[in-house]
Amino acid sequence: MEVSHSIRERTIAENSLVILLQGLQGEVTTVDLRDESTARGRVVNVDAFMNVRLEEVLYRDRRGRLSQLADLFITARNVRYVHIPDHVDIMETIQTQLTRIRRVRNFAGEKRGRKEYLKKKN
Amino acid sequence: MVLLRSVPPPSEGVRHEQAETTAVLDGKGLGAGTLYVAETRLSWFDGSGMGFSLEYPTISLHAISRDLSTYPQEHLYVMVNAKLNDENEAEMQENAHDQEDEDNSSEEDESEGITEIRFVPRDKAALESMFSAMCECQALHPDPDDEDSDGDFDGDEYNVEEAEAEHGQGDIPSFCTYEEGVSGLTAEGQATLQRLEGMLAQSVANTFHMAGVRTDEANGEFDDGMEVDAGSTMAGQFEDADVDH
Repeated sequence: MEVSHSIRERTIAENSLVILLQGLQGEVTTVDLRDESTARGRVVNVDAFMNVRLEEVLYRDRRGRLSQLADLFITARNVRYVHIPDHVDIMETIQTQLTRIRRVRNFAGEKRGRKEYLKKKN
Repeated sequence: MVLLRSVPPPSEGVRHEQAETTAVLDGKGLGAGTLYVAETRLSWFDGSGMGFSLEYPTISLHAISRDLSTYPQEHLYVMVNAKLNDENEAEMQENAHDQEDEDNSSEEDESEGITEIRFVPRDKAALESMFSAMCECQALHPDPDDEDSDGDFDGDEYNVEEAEAEHGQGDIPSFCTYEEGVSGLTAEGQATLQRLEGMLAQSVANTFHMAGVRTDEANGEFDDGMEVDAGSTMAGQFEDADVDH
């Protein structure tokens, strides 16, 4: 399971629940879209902006018409729900993803010292 | 403006270009042309220069369709969250559920604020590259309206250790803690670390036995032939010389 190569994306993921969705890579699940269509397929990738890429998809448009799509990319804005499969342990998935991100940070050859994006002061 | 008819295809940042690609806009074929997947926009133009461009924020989804029962050719399917009207200008319409009118809407999607476009390349093997290029470009245009926005994470990168030192936490050393370091090791790495530490502890403990008293601390774990048993006497080094075979 890959961790994003982008520092910005890793930081975003580390600080939001999108990290849970990223941990679903390889799982088959259903995504409900904003227009009430649904897509069921295997999660290929979810980026930090919550764009979802699925493969081997059964797509059901809002009228209920079914079609198969080999590869599907759903823009984040159009994702309403992502179903978490019952067998997925949510806490464990999040922990595993966090560990992966931190491991990449420590050993990715980044210059000495952890680099983060400066958070805006509230 | 969402569908830009008079804008030529970009010359820079073109991640993928696919010639001999037919465009079908809401079921209407536009003939063969070239698809340009560029970082700034998605464009398609036919030989005579007629065509259109799409801005990525308006694209709801894109997909590779190999399902011939839905459409007779393999193609790249793009759903745009905007409607092309007669004046060749697109209007952004929110697909809010209050706009749905199930009773009056026709079979076609024309009543909805979406446009379905199919790009049918002559070379079907190119579909994956076309799809991937679109994924990459789409990722370059995250939703600016997103509330959970990563706006908190804009700005310059800064060195965490330096910042902490400046803020008076300089007494905390900038190397990682034992736990952090160990957790970064693989299982093999951790086993190696334990073994080395054990050897270190062993050799430290053995300095108390240099007076010549042999200890029984033979530890099977270190039985790799390299272990020096500092507790053995000089005579012990040549033990095997006394053995008659």
